[in-house]
Parts: sequence; C-alpha cells; structure tokens
Amino acid sequence: MTAPLPKRIIKETERLQSEPVPGISASPHDDNARYFDVMVEGPGGSCYEGGVFSLELFLPDDYPMCPPRIRFLTRIYHPNIDRLGRICLDVLKNNWSPALQIRTILLSIQALLGAPNPDDPLNEAVAKQWKARENQPEAIKTAREWTRLYANK
Amino acid sequence: MSGSPPWSSSRWHSSQAGFVPHHATSNSTGRLEVASSPPDVQRSLSAANIAGHSSLRGMRRLEARRQMEEANFLSSKARSQNLNPPIDLRMLDYVTAYDDNLMCPICRCPFLDPVVLAECDHCFCRDCIRQTWASTYSPLGPRGDCPSCRTPAKLGPRSATSKILVNITDDLLVRCPKSEDGCKAQVKRGEVQDHVNIYCGYAYMECTADDCELHVLRKDAAEGCLHFGVSCLDCRQSMQKASLETHWRVQCPDRKVSCELCKEAVFNREWDTHSRETCPAISIPCPGKVFGCNSRSKRSQADVHAKSCTFAKLTPMLTAMQQRMDEQEAAQKVMVRKLEVLEGGFQAVQTILSTKQEDPDQVGADESRIPLLTGRPHQRGDSGGMLDAMVVETDVGAFVFPPPSSSSRPSSELVHVRAGASLPPLYSAPMAPGPRPADLPEPFTMDFDMASPFPPPAANGPYISPLHHLLSMHESLRDEMSRMSAALQELDGRQSMQALNENLRTREEISYMAAQVAGLSRQVHWLTSAQLQRQQHGGAGRQAAGAAGPSGSDIAGAGAGVEAAVSTAASALRGAARIVNAGQGMTMRRGLSEEGRTKL
Repeated sequence: MTAPLPKRIIKETERLQSEPVPGISASPHDDNARYFDVMVEGPGGSCYEGGVFSLELFLPDDYPMCPPRIRFLTRIYHPNIDRLGRICLDVLKNNWSPALQIRTILLSIQALLGAPNPDDPLNEAVAKQWKARENQPEAIKTAREWTRLYANK
Repeated sequence: MSGSPPWSSSRWHSSQAGFVPHHATSNSTGRLEVASSPPDVQRSLSAANIAGHSSLRGMRRLEARRQMEEANFLSSKARSQNLNPPIDLRMLDYVTAYDDNLMCPICRCPFLDPVVLAECDHCFCRDCIRQTWASTYSPLGPRGDCPSCRTPAKLGPRSATSKILVNITDDLLVRCPKSEDGCKAQVKRGEVQDHVNIYCGYAYMECTADDCELHVLRKDAAEGCLHFGVSCLDCRQSMQKASLETHWRVQCPDRKVSCELCKEAVFNREWDTHSRETCPAISIPCPGKVFGCNSRSKRSQADVHAKSCTFAKLTPMLTAMQQRMDEQEAAQKVMVRKLEVLEGGFQAVQTILSTKQEDPDQVGADESRIPLLTGRPHQRGDSGGMLDAMVVETDVGAFVFPPPSSSSRPSSELVHVRAGASLPPLYSAPMAPGPRPADLPEPFTMDFDMASPFPPPAANGPYISPLHHLLSMHESLRDEMSRMSAALQELDGRQSMQALNENLRTREEISYMAAQVAGLSRQVHWLTSAQLQRQQHGGAGRQAAGAAGPSGSDIAGAGAGVEAAVSTAASALRGAARIVNAGQGMTMRRGLSEEGRTKL
C-alpha cells in the first residue's frame, strides 16, 4: 500500500491548475498523481520561440527533500540538454532546495531555454558548435530549425 | 451521576481538583498531574487532623475516591490515545483561509512548531528543517544552508519563533479529522488533538461494559455495551450493533439514503448513477460547454436553458465538424508522411543519377546497364568531356538533373520540352560551362534548384510525373536486376553440373587406362623375371649355349626398354589425372565464390 499523497503535492497541483504560470502547463496523470505531463513554451526572443516543448516530471517519494525528475520528451537542440532529453541544471541536482516548487523549477527550465549555458554543457557537440564564435549563427539556425520541425503545436 | 457517561464524571472531578485539560499537550499534562497529587493528599490529611477523628475518616474516603477517579481518567485518556493515534496536523482541512506568510516554504502548511534561523530570519517548521538538514548532520546540532536563501545557518537552542506566530497558527480553525465519519466540529488547530482524545463523539473509546474489551464510538458509549450480534434489516448481513450505523451510512447496498439535493430516497448501490444521471436538483453544465457556454443549471431546468442557448443548439453540428476536422487532420498527417517517403526516394534517385553524371565515361557505361533510363537519351557535352547536363526525353517532358555541386556549373537547369518540340536547335551547340546562352528558347527552360531539399511546388502538374516516372524506372530496374541475377545463377549451376559430368567421365577413362598400364607392367615384369631366371639357369651351360647368349641379353635389354616406356606412360597418366583434379578443384572454388556472392 502506498503512503497518502503529502499535502504539499496536493496543494502544488491545485495551484498549478488554478493559477497557471503563463507559457507553462503541468497536469498530473489520473493513475499517478506524482507523474506530470508538462508543456513549456519557448521563451520569446530566443531561438526556441514559437515552439511548444513537452516534458515529463516525476516527484520521487522523498520530494520535497530531493528534486523532481524532469526530462524533455520533445527533441531540442540545446547545449544543456542531451539527446535523451536530460537536463543539466544546478537546481535539479546539487542546488536543489525544498523551498523550490514545481512551478519555480519549470520557470528555471524556461529561463534555461532563453539563456543556454555552453560553458557547463551536457551535449558536448552542440556546446562546441555553440561556443565557437563563427559557428554560433549556424547553431542558432539549427536550433530554430529543430524547434520548427519537432516542437510544433 | 450514574446516568451520565463516565468520561464526563471524571472530568467533573478532575476540574474540581484544579485540573485543566486544555492548553497543554496530553502527555506532559498526565505526568504533571500525577506528580502534583501527593502534596494535595498531604495537605488534606493535615487539615483532617485538625478537624477531628470522626471527620478524618470521611475526608480520607473522599480523598481516596478522588484519587481513584483521577487515575481512572488518566488511564482512560491514555487508552483513548492508543485507540485514536496522534493526528497528522499537516493533513487537516483548514476552514479559515490563511496567509501565504503563515506557510512553511517546505511543507506549504501553516507552521508547526516554527523555528527561525538567526542568520537570515527565515522561518520553517522544526521537523521540516531538521529533515532538510538530515544529510548534512553535524555533532554540534543541525546545520546547513537556508532552503530559502542558501545562507549557511544552524539551529540553536533559542531558535523557536516568537509566541505570536505560534498562537496565530494554532488558532486557525480546522475541521475535525473525523468529519468523514460524521463529526461536524470545527476547532482550533491547537486543540484538535484534545478534541479527538476527549470530546469527539466519533472517536473510539473502550466499551463501558466491565467484561467487554472492544472499543466503541464515544457518542454510543452511554448506551451500554453494543457488542452483540444483529443483522441488517435491509441486506440481511450480520454484524455487531456498534458497527451497524457505519454500515448503513456507507456500505449497505439495500438501504435508502436521502439525497441532500432532491430529498429523494436513493439506494446506496444506485447512488453513483443517481448523482450522475438522474438527480433533478444537481447542477449540470450546459451541453455547449466545450464551445463556450459557461452557464450551469439544474438538471430539471436544463431543457429550458438548452432551448434558449445558441451554443446548445449548435452543439451537435459543432461536434460533427470537430470530428471531421480531427479525421482530416489524421489523414493529412498520413499524407505528409507519405510525401516524406516519396521525397526521400526521389532524392536517392537523384543522387544516384548525379553521381553517375560526374564522370562522362561512367555515363557511357551506364547506358548499357540502365536501358530504361537511357533508351532515348540525347547526350550533349562531348566537347572537352565536360557534361553540362543530361537530357532525358520522356513522353511527358524532358528534364535535366544537374549535379548537386552545381555552383561551378551555373547552367544547371531543368529543360522542359514538350513532345514534338524541335530538339536540334536546342542541343546543336555544345553548351559551354558558364552563363546560359541568351539565345536559348525561354519557354522551354525553367530554372529549378535541385540542391534544395524541398521538391517543387505540387501545383505545377507535370513535375509530379517525373518523380513518379523516376520511381517507376527505379522499380523496373530493380526487377530487371533480380531477373538477371536469377538467370545468372541458373546458368552458373548448369555449367558447374556439366563440368562435373565431364570430369567424371574423364576420371573413369583415366582409371581404366591406369588399370591397363598396370596389367602391362605386370606382364613386362613377368617377362623380365622369366628372362632373368633363364639367364641364371643357363649360367653353367653358357659355353654350351654360347650362341643363344647374345640373343638372351638382347631380350633383357628390350624388356628394360619396355618397362621404362610403360613407367613414362604411367607418370604421364598421373599428370593428366592431377590436371583433371586441379580443374575440378577450380570449378569447386568458383562455385563457392559464386555462392558467396549471391549471399552477399
């Protein structure tokens, strides 16, 4: 028998539904309230603008003492996101704090789309392309192309 | 006193003794009370001494009874705590809305035993912050980074927040945790544990009967022991009287419960369908809700609304349209997929063609290999071996595939020739690598960038057909190839069979000849040995047979010559056999390699 859902998760879910963050939606599965389907819009002004990226989010048993597990399901060309959709973001790893919530984490991910960090890469090839000054327009073009191809509504 | 329930009498007595059950956690209260009773007894004893001997006995009896009542109260309270486990205050249902500032950032509930971090002034529940810092344990006490601002902090002995925060959070109204069982009480959060332990009618306590050790709801305790078997009048299930009420409310499928909305009595088992489908008083949304009508009305008045609501009227049509749109979208997706596949095939064909075009010699070789494609080709560009474009005329039109690296050859273009158009003026002059001559007839040419990954717009009808044509050519070529390879295999098999038969015959002949040679050599051997014997016998009478001597040696010499000849013939035969064997081995090897190729 599973433990009852902590009040915190119930509250966060309710708040995500009642006052959603603009550009972000998260809805729990019917059969597992710890598993969320997430949609994040690419931030305006970035090379992911106009794309809608879908992610999966899972709250482990000891949430909020450990971070939620998040993965991109949509393919994305980004130096901090690898081929499998795993995300390199400090607050999802060592810098997690129990005072953070699902909505703040999703906002961080949206911000990461707006400001890629090729100095701390997860996808080496993309990061190399991104870092080299003469290749950067090419990389941004590829990111736009991928957004158009894979992250279409 | 006898009529009142035992818990109320003990409470009355304990409050007489100055005992206040509220405002303290139950455990510590119990300990305090036990510790404080002996001085009371001593005080009353000394008072009794002064009053006199006769009243002393009455006082003692009174005192002993009071103590017994107290002990009873404490033990019953402890027992009720066992029956009603401590409440998880975080799971409570809060009646009053509370400020976000009263919420612990970790558990998102109103603070429980809040502490403040001296370093950054952030507040958390004590349990929450301890749990957060459990991994960074230090012997000097809990320490770590503040979850809100990451300031390094620790939990000192004086970390409790000011009393006002505790009071505010403890004064929030909550529903009794037994509200699902029927308790309607709303109490302050700080008192909810005492409410369940002492007052709540839906909490369990021990049965009042002396010989019964089962537990019973507090509200039923006054009715005496209810732990006797009864059977439900509606469903005939047997159970104890104490649990009959719960059974009626929740489980019994044959009992009628009155619907709160329509006041109609409904069977428990039909409750779901009633609330979902039939209850006339329940509020349901307008049928056109998905299309924008937000009004809700009672089921009984839904028809009235539907008659006036435009959305409700349009709903069937809109639903049908939506369905059709979905279907069409799905179909379109399939078409897109198909188009992608076709594009891929087209590009593959194009790359094959353009690589062949790189080298003019290879194009010449291709002509023989792809008869379908180059059945009626008009090749130009023989000057200097530089091929500008390959023109393939078909019934529908002719088009040119430029090589993908066409930057160096600007004359990459698609020439579209209608059937019956005059070809010679177009192709008579060899095209020089460079800008297209201006005198080329414009209506027949059309620039088309083949390096682009996207096909020409589908609106131009004729350009769909080249694609199809190429694909069909590709297919027919593939068929041709497979037919050819089958024929080749067949031929090869026949040939190897023939070789094998021939071989067999040759070998038989060789062995026959070898046998003959062996017979011959035996005869010769016999002849020579007979000759030798004769020579030995005639050794003594050599003088006598002097004339015969030279003739005998002549015979021996002839015998030796025949033997040498026979052995040469035998060696020659052996050589022939070796050659045949080698030939067979070669055919075998060729068969093997042939097999390997077909496998590849």
